[in-house]
Amino acid sequence: MSDGSMITKRSCSFLIASLSFAALAGCSGSDPAPANAETPLLITSTTPAGFPKGTNKDQAPADNALTEDRALLGKRLFYDPQLSRTNDVSCATCHQQAYAFSDPGAVSTGVDGRTGTRNAPSIANAAWGRSFFWDGRAHTLEEQAGQPIENPVEMDSSVSDAVAKVAADPSYVETFEKAYGEPPNADSLQKALASFVRSLVSGNSPYDRHLRGDDTDFGPQRQRGEALFLSEKCECYHCHPGGQLSNEGYFNDGTYTVGGDTGRQQVSGRVGDIGKFKVPGLRNVAVSAPYMHDGSVPTLEAVIEQYDQGGRGDPTTDPLIKPMSLTSDEKADLLEFLNSFTDPSLLEDARFAP
Amino acid sequence: MKLARLAALMTCTAVLVGPLGCSSENGQTPSAGGSPGAGGATAEAGAAEAGDGPSNGGAPDTDDVSPGWSVTASTCAEKLTPQRMQGTLLSLLLQPVLAGEPFVFGDPNPLADGSAVIPLNFRFYISEVELLRNDGDAVAVDVVTAAGEPEPYGVHLFNAEDTDSGTLRVLAPAGDYTGLRFALGIKLACNKQTPANLDDPLDTASQMTWPHGGGFLYFRYEGRSSVADSGAAGASGAAGTNAASEVPPAVHMGGNLVTEFVPHVTVSGALSVPRSGTAERELTVAMDEVFKGANSDIDVSDFAVGFRSTPEAVAGERLRRELPELHVFELKP
Repeated sequence: MSDGSMITKRSCSFLIASLSFAALAGCSGSDPAPANAETPLLITSTTPAGFPKGTNKDQAPADNALTEDRALLGKRLFYDPQLSRTNDVSCATCHQQAYAFSDPGAVSTGVDGRTGTRNAPSIANAAWGRSFFWDGRAHTLEEQAGQPIENPVEMDSSVSDAVAKVAADPSYVETFEKAYGEPPNADSLQKALASFVRSLVSGNSPYDRHLRGDDTDFGPQRQRGEALFLSEKCECYHCHPGGQLSNEGYFNDGTYTVGGDTGRQQVSGRVGDIGKFKVPGLRNVAVSAPYMHDGSVPTLEAVIEQYDQGGRGDPTTDPLIKPMSLTSDEKADLLEFLNSFTDPSLLEDARFAP
Repeated sequence: MKLARLAALMTCTAVLVGPLGCSSENGQTPSAGGSPGAGGATAEAGAAEAGDGPSNGGAPDTDDVSPGWSVTASTCAEKLTPQRMQGTLLSLLLQPVLAGEPFVFGDPNPLADGSAVIPLNFRFYISEVELLRNDGDAVAVDVVTAAGEPEPYGVHLFNAEDTDSGTLRVLAPAGDYTGLRFALGIKLACNKQTPANLDDPLDTASQMTWPHGGGFLYFRYEGRSSVADSGAAGASGAAGTNAASEVPPAVHMGGNLVTEFVPHVTVSGALSVPRSGTAERELTVAMDEVFKGANSDIDVSDFAVGFRSTPEAVAGERLRRELPELHVFELKP
């Protein structure tokens, strides 16, 4: 397996070249603005409708309680290209807010123009995730956070080098002290990144309001699409249940073909896991194209077509993925239902911006 | 063998304290026993004091008689009042088998005709566990974690992908038993709940939820079969499932939100629970019997409507109705 094939969720990416570090950090050499009455807090009690019990704070591990200071520090790191070897790739390169913190490219571009093999999915609402990366190789956000820094086709650095860079900046040192009570180190750097990601909550879509009983923006076509989504004809719900729209499991959805990325099998070694990938949540799916683990499906219309065909025909496809024989009206209804998952406020929320 | 044989054995005698709001001094006092399960056994009534030792001669502790699961049948509490505060940790190693051989998750399991079946997803719930006495009475026992604390909702989720789930642990009074009984699924009070309001193992990540206003699968299997190589037929000759054509691609059991639907399974076999230390037994899950039940021709037309009309739901309902005639679970010596 090549280095590139190890990449799943390309968590970090190049920094927009025109942005300087000073701009990202807020003001050169000084602390990011502290939260106050004029600055909306990153950490809120918002929970998307139908999600598992508890807020994002409740999902944080005991040794990394979610606090405003930690999330703000993580945000600064998230947008900081210094974490890469070449100082021009940040986490935000592949996880762009305008695309619900996903990458509009099929696969992302890392340092020196290197490309991986998997699409960077949306990381909004990752606080409720059970595993991370397309193959689920990371069990926590903290564990996940360091991997893109060290991946050769992403940031191609090391966590220790990243720590050394931020530790040379007094303002960073002060912020780490405030957030974690200690100078920058590998553990706190990864915890801070995880804290910011945990703060990215999206829960203001028409679908959220529908689940809460307000169908103002959930008209008949979306209702028909929802019924199809939950029907025995489509059976989408098996993998995309509830408000989270993911069962957090690993399935072969029919995208894999012989010779392709084997996904979960690279972690487990099991023959039966060939072509399995983690089921992504579908929140904001309409703004996070392209689709599937490899970004090989450019539009939601094409996604529906692929599922309508029962996948691409590989015998490893999950037995629940079967041809559906949808009519054109049914496809349009499904598409409109998927559009109801978009939370426009996430895409322009200043709290999450650099 | 990748499925859990690990059973990290616990301390000799587990003690339930603290998080359940019960102190060791005032361990729950069983009330008059009701009918503990579908099998008709009745738990004895009587008060018990926590921590009393077992009687001589291997007979189950008479003062450990529990009230039975009927007491909590109408509720779905995450934190249960334990049946007893002390007991011996009995670990039951759940071992799926096919034709007598371990049924290995995610890998090809050979069939007699030279083909193979690869399980892709296999999980089921167990709850309301009772140990059976030779006089026919049943002793309800708590399903507990490796740390000896009650599992949330009193439910254990076996997930073949998760080796830690391969051990069903109960806190049992010492004694000699003739078998055990359990619900292969969850009770109606839990089945009617909305998964978004519940925690593991009854949340959507369990992969056991229906989408239609609540409800859970009790038993879920999916797999794929490979085509037999020419000339390979008869390679095994083992009893049970012989060909890929006899293996359904998916079996989903569950799907009734109105009536108590969960089947109860009785497994016979001598089971001795010591006063001290721990006990461990293997409880096999015969996939041949599962497939046999799922493939039966029993009429389920009254069930197969709407979202329950899929092939996998029909297979699951056939399995559920055939269970009394099958020997899916077996206690190994």
